[in-house]
Amino acid sequence: MTKHLKTALNRIRRSPYQAIAAISIMTMTLFLAGALFLLSAGSQAVLNYFETRPQINAFFKVDYVPPQSEIDRIHSELDATGLVKSFHFVSKDEALTIYKDLNKSDPLLLDAVTASMLPASVEVSAYQPNDLSVLADKLKTEPNIDDVRYAQDILGALTKWTNSVRVVGLTLVGTNILITFLIILLIIGVKVAGRREEIVVLQLVGATRSYISAPFIYEGVLYGLLGGFIAWGIMYLILLYSMPFLVTFLAGIPILPPPILFMLEVLGGEMLLGALVGGMGGLMATKRYLKT
Amino acid sequence: MVSAHTLTKKFGDLIAVNGVSFSIDPGEFVFLTGHSGSGKTTLLRLILRELRPDTGKLTVDGKDTSQLKVKDLPAFRRAIGPVFQDYKLLLDRNIWENVALPLEVRGVKPADIHSAVRMALDLVGLAKKIDMFPGQLSGGELQRVAIARAIVGKPKLILADEPTGNLDPKTAKDIAKLLKDLHSELKTTVIMATHNAEIVDQFTLRVITLDSGKLINDTPKGKYDQAS
Repeated sequence: MTKHLKTALNRIRRSPYQAIAAISIMTMTLFLAGALFLLSAGSQAVLNYFETRPQINAFFKVDYVPPQSEIDRIHSELDATGLVKSFHFVSKDEALTIYKDLNKSDPLLLDAVTASMLPASVEVSAYQPNDLSVLADKLKTEPNIDDVRYAQDILGALTKWTNSVRVVGLTLVGTNILITFLIILLIIGVKVAGRREEIVVLQLVGATRSYISAPFIYEGVLYGLLGGFIAWGIMYLILLYSMPFLVTFLAGIPILPPPILFMLEVLGGEMLLGALVGGMGGLMATKRYLKT
Repeated sequence: MVSAHTLTKKFGDLIAVNGVSFSIDPGEFVFLTGHSGSGKTTLLRLILRELRPDTGKLTVDGKDTSQLKVKDLPAFRRAIGPVFQDYKLLLDRNIWENVALPLEVRGVKPADIHSAVRMALDLVGLAKKIDMFPGQLSGGELQRVAIARAIVGKPKLILADEPTGNLDPKTAKDIAKLLKDLHSELKTTVIMATHNAEIVDQFTLRVITLDSGKLINDTPKGKYDQAS
């Protein structure tokens, strides 16, 4: 194995321009794959975030303080649908606490507001985003409930966006992987053709197919590993650079910064994908010369 | 060691080997003669299983070459040491590495490769040139390297295809003598294809003569057949 690896490294060193071309195309494709994967994973994380938040806020009339019996009745009626994941009553005092917490940096706003000015509410979350409208409709029929808000629209748009990212991403990445595979096949194919005399000699002295193919496969794998690493590095740098903007853009949705372990998994995935594409290219390039 | 029965090989309309039958015992030294295009190289390529016969049967070291699958070829070829007119040495490897090649592809341990290569290069008289590259050697020396590569794996059969074809008369005689000496020392079967009458007549050994693909003469202690 070490011998074949050394041979592959020597061949890469002896044809630097071919190596640069191979690593560049591999880097481009793996960068695209990684970026689209991160975009897709990020969208999914945002979607998950919204799905796990209380999605419906139903506000009672401002001047109305609901008795416990009414809250229990609403709770049990919603529970009876079997769609409710959680139910939480927010009293006027609790609403004031939340308000104070949100506006603690602005004393003027704090002084002007009292508990009586804020409505009591219920926060309801569902197991499935699609069930929100059923629960919202039910809450709207309550005579003392003034306003019902839920994130159905956001979730619908986000789901569409995530699905689109996946479809477009898979198509783009699939096409690029195919192009990269063909270019690696071409680059290593040229090298194989340049060494066909050597291959003939190796065959005549009893070398197995795997012995002859191994350095070319290793070469493809090395292109893939290097391309994967460089693509990941560029992607991570861009992500770190864009972090302040993204954190502001996502307005408190806690998905950034991505965990280091997750990014290391992305690195592993990129290098594995690169190694597979490169290795397959090397294998296919030698195959046609090893038929006899 | 090698047995051919009504062996035929065609390339399109050209019949390169035409119904050839012969048998070579282990340890024999056989000259395969005939003019250019008589079918000598095709016959050697059939024995090395670079080609498959169209009809007939060819058995080498007990194996029917027609029945060999691609995956069987490496093991089959390890029993044969080929020597070519154009040497077929790897120009980017030094003499040591060229000779070590058949053992490396078999995964032999480095220590064993070391002793075997040293012995093979001693036998061909090139022990002092191990670090040199093919581009630095003369034609005779290159053929000696090729012979060392052929014998290093202790093959049962050496196939030499016009090994003296690119050499001057004196060097050609030296190479032929080297092959004969190695045959005597190693007891390996040797088939040497040549159209050099002087070399064939230098020894009194079995001569198989081909003409237009047909075997026209098979003499146990023969001379070069000028008629061919």
